[in-house]
Amino acid sequence: MASNNSLYLRRRIANIVALLLSSLATVVGLFFLAWILWETLRQGISALSPSLFTKITAYGEDGGLANAMVGSLLINFIGIAIATPIGVMAGMWLAEYANRSKLGASVRFLNDILLSAPSIVLGLFVYTIIVLPMKNLTDGAITFSGLAGGIALSLIALPVVVRTTDEMLRLVPSTLREAALSLGVPQWKLTMQILVRSARSGIITGILLALARISGETAPLLFTAFGNNYMSLNPIDKMASLPQVIYQYANDPGDKLHAIAWAGAFVVTMFVLLLSLGSRLLFARSKVSND
Amino acid sequence: MTDPAFSPAPAAEAAMAHTGDGTPAPAKITVRDLNFFYNGFHALKGISMDIPEKKVTAIIGPSGCGKSTLLRIFNRIYNIYPKLEANGQIVLDGENILDPKYSLNRLRSKVGMVFQKPVPFPMTIFENVAYGIRHHERLNKSEMEGRVEQALRSAALWDEVKDKLKQSALGLSGGQQQRLCIARGIALKPEVLLLDEPTSALDPIATSRIEQLVEELKNDFTIVIVTHNMQQAARCSDLTAFMYLGELIEFDRTEKIFTKPNKKQTEDYITGRFG
Repeated sequence: MASNNSLYLRRRIANIVALLLSSLATVVGLFFLAWILWETLRQGISALSPSLFTKITAYGEDGGLANAMVGSLLINFIGIAIATPIGVMAGMWLAEYANRSKLGASVRFLNDILLSAPSIVLGLFVYTIIVLPMKNLTDGAITFSGLAGGIALSLIALPVVVRTTDEMLRLVPSTLREAALSLGVPQWKLTMQILVRSARSGIITGILLALARISGETAPLLFTAFGNNYMSLNPIDKMASLPQVIYQYANDPGDKLHAIAWAGAFVVTMFVLLLSLGSRLLFARSKVSND
Repeated sequence: MTDPAFSPAPAAEAAMAHTGDGTPAPAKITVRDLNFFYNGFHALKGISMDIPEKKVTAIIGPSGCGKSTLLRIFNRIYNIYPKLEANGQIVLDGENILDPKYSLNRLRSKVGMVFQKPVPFPMTIFENVAYGIRHHERLNKSEMEGRVEQALRSAALWDEVKDKLKQSALGLSGGQQQRLCIARGIALKPEVLLLDEPTSALDPIATSRIEQLVEELKNDFTIVIVTHNMQQAARCSDLTAFMYLGELIEFDRTEKIFTKPNKKQTEDYITGRFG
């Protein structure tokens, strides 16, 4: 059966070629990821110093990033605080009230568009609907603000929270819904008291991932929070943030500022890495305990 | 037997159903010319039957014959899905439950249901049982504790869980979870208990405990059990209905169905010639 043998040989060769190509693609992808992490680690750790966490950016080359770190925490907090309740409730509506409806399908589609919207567009949008009107209303007393930055970030976090909440709720088996409804319990009680509890770890994971996503955003903050060389805790004042300071320092010709930017990049990367790890651990643990 | 269901009821002769030993008992649920459509597909065809009070009625038949569908109409749980339609009459205590004006809240407090897979809520054992009660009644703490204990005792679970009521129900074994679901259902003091293949996910020991429990529960409840296990129907029911392709082929005393069925199809199914 010579013809069969040649057929098998051809298949084996095709198999080896496909395997080689896909392995190569994986290696290329992982290689750059590892390189980025390694470079950030190498450059960042060597620039880490206590003054990074204690001094503000006003001192420039002799300063630190304290105001930017505090600003980032505040802006991210505002973003998540706005996105979480709206996103979780919208996700609940999608999964429990509009799951099979046309309106639900359209909302899901629009949410996916928002999910992939360029972040600079969201920054400009917030600039137009919040920063400019505020400036006009207050005669220039309030312009850029941490609050506006937080709102811009909330627009990025929102679709992530909506989508994970929706998906996590839809993963809850329908038998649980039937069991509760057969006790005469109304839909809203079922959703709030049983389904959300059942999908809790998945929903929290989504919120943490949204937080990780917005922690590295730079573009939406340039037109909204703007930046501030001094420590500011006032949400309606200009506010510094880590990504924005990294952007600014990286554009500077000074080597010392580059080093500080690397250290800032290292801090942001670590924060995001820990958030992702934490949310994965949380989700994995809850899956084990549910089975 | 001194079953209260045997005392002569004022109900008309037509509403009498046959019971395990041939004595008529009042019908708890009267089904008349029931048709059911899944998205246009005619799933139940002209079902009429009288389900007697405080007896165990088993529904058997091959997969897809409509037995679970029929059960799921008795508490209108099918209502949560779109494009399903039932017409005809299901009379429970003199009222047609298919009437859109019949309150679902009231129906579901009168007709409890236990599903194929145990579905404990993600909360403590105590809260699982108390949850439904709390929705229908205002009880103080000690009354609630009494009700929960009573329900767990009736479901033969109390001795196993009395020291860990505050622990998550998800930590119980499959058989314990299923008895917890039964406790949750009977805690509402329903009149009818629907069991949809309640032991198909359980091991033989847990299954025999549930069957024992069914035997005890029929003193207080009208029980309808769907099962694909014919031995189970023979062991624990007073009446058996055989369904095939959406039709009720035969409905009689269990003993008669399993020894001298009237219809050829029933006999073929019972003797394992198909199904």
